[in-house]
Amino acid sequence: MVANLQTPGLPTQADFHAAISDRSDRWFAACLKITRNRDLAEDAVQDALLNAWNKRHQFDNTARLDTWIHRIAINAALQLLRKNRPAAFEPLETDVEDDADTPETVQAEHELGKRLSAAMTHLSEFERVCFVLKHLEQWRLKEIAEEVGSDVGAVKQAVFRAVRKLRVRMGSLKGEKT
Amino acid sequence: MNEDTLILYYYNDGLSKRERQQVEEAIHSDATVAATYEELCQQLNGMSGPDSPAVPSHTVERWHDAIDRAARQEHARTQSPARSFNPWSFAWGAAIAAALALGVGLNMTSVDPEIVTPATVPGAFTRGVQVHFRDTFQELSSLPADSAADRSMLALQIIEQNRLYERAAEQNDSQSLARVLRAFEPVLLQLAAEDLSPEDAAALQAQLIFELNVMLTKLSRDVSNETDTSQPGIQT
Repeated sequence: MVANLQTPGLPTQADFHAAISDRSDRWFAACLKITRNRDLAEDAVQDALLNAWNKRHQFDNTARLDTWIHRIAINAALQLLRKNRPAAFEPLETDVEDDADTPETVQAEHELGKRLSAAMTHLSEFERVCFVLKHLEQWRLKEIAEEVGSDVGAVKQAVFRAVRKLRVRMGSLKGEKT
Repeated sequence: MNEDTLILYYYNDGLSKRERQQVEEAIHSDATVAATYEELCQQLNGMSGPDSPAVPSHTVERWHDAIDRAARQEHARTQSPARSFNPWSFAWGAAIAAALALGVGLNMTSVDPEIVTPATVPGAFTRGVQVHFRDTFQELSSLPADSAADRSMLALQIIEQNRLYERAAEQNDSQSLARVLRAFEPVLLQLAAEDLSPEDAAALQAQLIFELNVMLTKLSRDVSNETDTSQPGIQT
C-alpha cells in the first residue's frame, strides 16, 4: 500500500508511518549507495525523517511525501558523509580509486551484491557520489555541484571518469562471468 | 564528437540547446557516432541501481519510533505553551525567586533564630529551587532542535532566573546551592550562542538535562530527609 501521498494540509503521523512502511528500504538503499556504510545510511534515514517531520509545514502537498523524504535522506547521507569523511568531497585531478574498504563497506557491497556495486568500489568517493546523484538519482549537474560544494565542471569531470571506469569494470566483470 | 559530450547528451544535462542539436545531427549523419552512442546507451541503461538491500525490522521500528517520539514532543510543546520560554515564564520564575528571598529575609528578621529550626527555611527554599529546576528541565527537554534563536532566548532566560535564585540562595545561606546555580551558567552561555552547530547544541542540551536530573534527584532526597527529620517525634 502506498502512503497517503496527497493529504491536504500537513502530512500526518500516519502518513509518515505509511511512507516508512512502503519506502524506507529505497531511502536506505539510496543512502547506502552514497555512504557505503550501513550505520551511516540508517542514521541518514532517521535524520531525514525527523527533519521532514519538523519541517512538514514546508512540504508541498502536490508532491509525494516519500519522494520528498527520499530527497531529504540523500541530503542527510551527504551531510553525514561530509562529516565523517570530508575528503569525499575533494574533487580529484587524477583517477585515484577509493580502495579503503572497511569491513562495513565490504558488508555493504556484499548486500548491494550487483555488478554495478562491485564496479563502483573502484570509484573515488567524489566520483561515486556524483555518479549516484546523476545516474541513479537523476539530479541536475548544477544541483549536485551545489550540494557537494563544488562547481559544475568538476562534477561533470567526476561523472565522465565514473562512467569510463564503470564501463571498463562492468565490461570486464561481464567477461569474467561468461 | 567526443564521448563526454555523448554522456551529457544521454543525461540531457550540461549541454546548450545548440550543442544538443549538433549532437543530434552528428548521430543522424555519422554512423560511427551513432554506433558509439548506441553502445553508450546500452551500457548506461544497464547500470541500473542494485536491488534494495533488506532493512532489518528493528531498524524500521526505530524509524517509526522516531516519528512517534517527535510527534509526542511536539504535542507536549503545544499542550504547554506557558512553558515555552515566554516572558511570562521568566516573570513567574523571577517572582518565585524574589518571594523566596523576601520570605527568607522576613523569617530571619522577625523570628527568633533560636526557635527557627535550621531545616525549615532551607527546606522551603530547596523546594522553590526544585520547582525552578523542574521547569528548566522541561523547557530544555522540549526545546525545538532547529531554532537557534529560540534556544538562545531560552538559555538567556534561564541564566537570568538562575542568577535570581543564586542571590536568594546566598541570602538564605545556601552557599552550596548558589554554587550549583552558578555552575550552570558557563554551559548555558555556550548554549546561548546562536552560531552553535545543531550537534553541539544537542550535546550541551543533553549535558544540562542530565545535570538537572541529577540535581533534582539530589534535592528530592534532601527534601525528603528534611521532612522525615522535622516530623514531631522524630526530631530529637
